[in-house]
Amino acid sequence: MNESVLFLTTFFLYIISTFFYFVFILAKKDNLARIGFKFALAGLLTHTVALFLRTFESGHAPFTNMYESLSFLAWGSILAYILIERKYNSRNAGPYFMLIIIALMALASSPLMPKEAMPLVPALQSYWLWLHVSVTLIGEAFFAVAFIISIMYLVADARERQGKIEKLGLSSDKLDFISYKCIAVGFPLFTLGGLIFGMIWAYKAWGRYWSWDPKETWSLITWFVFAIYLHTRIVMGWKGRRSAFIAIIGFLAALFTYFGVNYLLAGLHSYT
Amino acid sequence: MKSVIRSFSSVKLAIVLLIIITIASVLGTFIPQQRSPAEYVSRYGQMANILIKLEFTTLYRSHWFISLLILFGINIIVCTLTRFSQKVKRAFSPQLKKKEKEILVLKTKEKVRKKCDSTKIKDVLKKEFSSKHYHLREEEKENRTYILARKKILGLFGADIVHIGILIILAGGIVSGLGGFRKNLSFSEGEISAVPKANFKLRLDKFETEYYPNGSVRDWKSTLTIIENENPKITKIIEVNKPLSYKGFVFYQSSCGWDWKNSILEILVRKRSDPAFIKEIRTKLGEKVSLEEENIQISVLHFIPDFVVNEKNEMFSRSLQPNNPAAFLEGWHENEKIFSGWIFARFPDISRIHSEKETDLHFELKDFKANQFSVIQATKDPGVNFIWLGSVIVMIGLFLAFYWPTREIRMILEESNGGTEIIAGGIAAKNPEALQSDFKEMMSSIRRTN
Repeated sequence: MNESVLFLTTFFLYIISTFFYFVFILAKKDNLARIGFKFALAGLLTHTVALFLRTFESGHAPFTNMYESLSFLAWGSILAYILIERKYNSRNAGPYFMLIIIALMALASSPLMPKEAMPLVPALQSYWLWLHVSVTLIGEAFFAVAFIISIMYLVADARERQGKIEKLGLSSDKLDFISYKCIAVGFPLFTLGGLIFGMIWAYKAWGRYWSWDPKETWSLITWFVFAIYLHTRIVMGWKGRRSAFIAIIGFLAALFTYFGVNYLLAGLHSYT
Repeated sequence: MKSVIRSFSSVKLAIVLLIIITIASVLGTFIPQQRSPAEYVSRYGQMANILIKLEFTTLYRSHWFISLLILFGINIIVCTLTRFSQKVKRAFSPQLKKKEKEILVLKTKEKVRKKCDSTKIKDVLKKEFSSKHYHLREEEKENRTYILARKKILGLFGADIVHIGILIILAGGIVSGLGGFRKNLSFSEGEISAVPKANFKLRLDKFETEYYPNGSVRDWKSTLTIIENENPKITKIIEVNKPLSYKGFVFYQSSCGWDWKNSILEILVRKRSDPAFIKEIRTKLGEKVSLEEENIQISVLHFIPDFVVNEKNEMFSRSLQPNNPAAFLEGWHENEKIFSGWIFARFPDISRIHSEKETDLHFELKDFKANQFSVIQATKDPGVNFIWLGSVIVMIGLFLAFYWPTREIRMILEESNGGTEIIAGGIAAKNPEALQSDFKEMMSSIRRTN
């Protein structure tokens, strides 16, 4: 077994999982969602082994180029989603969330992403690579779950306003609550991994903890957006639609930090 | 004054400031920062002047951006202070005597009546609350007992602790900005250089570049010695990600390069008419070397390590790496220039020698040597410890705010007509489910009492 075979196996399992989740939504049969969940879990397992193998084969952390980090982000997102579904029974989010996973995996396997493991440039040779990138990406994975849940909230809310009641689905109140809980997990992780570990590593590698490099600035922008989310919610009592919009903007900012900055804005963090 | 304080204590102001700072930060990533005025003119045309005047081109250190950050800092201080004293009071000397009404407005509440006296119920409550790790306070007045049971009180302060951490980080930023400095020092092996603003010197003993098998750089390593009062103090090998710290200074492996201006070049001279003729000359840039047999003096005027020509026919070096080394040489006969042109180390056959007169000579750039130098960044950043302290405090605060949710249950036990009426209510803004289950268990254990 090598890493690329396992990666494809994982991709395949995620696709089957997505399929079952969608059939569940259409047929409204709970046990189909359970099958979808099990395939996602199996995918997580093979994915974990694939990441271990990648680390073993390349001799460094499995997130040093775009292919690796996309794969790791997909892994973190599946993990985040599985935890949230177990805790809040949010299986209605399954099909939509799995679409994000499929998109990440498809992007990672696209021929545009060079897959061969390259030796690390000097700046990346540090254990902070592990801490900074993994914690940040897992934080962002929780933002991704909050993003999907917030979109579902907006849909559910619009339906409830028309007087329709979701029979099988989650009420808009519950979606609002789950979205907040995801951010409550993602925000401290993102603060620690993205900003604090980032500052420590930048200080060790470049001699300055903050340079207003585009990637740093965009991490801070993402952090500001979620800070606005938390303050409007906790202090000013905003809920529902307005909160959902801020959570969506926050995830888009995180996405731009992750992708956009690499391709659109040059800076110290240009590792593609 | 009061109205100023009031407006600074408002969370709305904080949010407005956050939004403005966020938008400004976004702008700063799309307008390239700290470039030359000419670049801005070619990019933005007439807008360039306005952008420069409004400091959009040095946005993050502009007066208005720093002012926004300071306003934001003041806002955080005032917000924290105005709420802090109330919170301390609420946490450490809470008011126990609440009216029945105040308890019954809570989301989680209940009112029951038992036919036993209140001491018995109190005993049960004490046992139950302590098994759930609640901290209990009580006060008796006339026929009433007021009970306040709480756990994870520190959670109340989570947000304040985060804000204190952020203030310390902002202060660290100011200290770094005012008191910090960084300078790149270039060293050849064996060279000693004074460290600015320090009473010691730095010597580069050795510099080496390590490569991967595929030829890409694995690491740069500089062996540095600190020299204080003419005595060597410490010797350490630094590399990227492994700097040397000494007396508040930190020395980083920043980059490296070759001292191409002082290269020593080896040039082979051949004669087309005489294959046996071969002569090797060693020269430095600008020196004149005589080829006595030919009565010619040659000199190398330029050396380019990575030669390229652009569309405008301008020659320049693409990088400082010796990827395509080229030398420009001239040949003189007495006071008359007879030829000049480029020769290439990688392409010995393609020499571009233009000559006024026919020349029999052919030149090859055989070898080139330049001292490699190591660039060490010397840094002093007195703000950095504030940053680490602030970061730890922020994380503690975030943990308390999100994962240490305060739970609070209040009760009034009122004895009347041989029985006890119990009014109970609970609140936990950040973890209502846990509170509800605690509350239910408490109430059912009260009901079981007789």
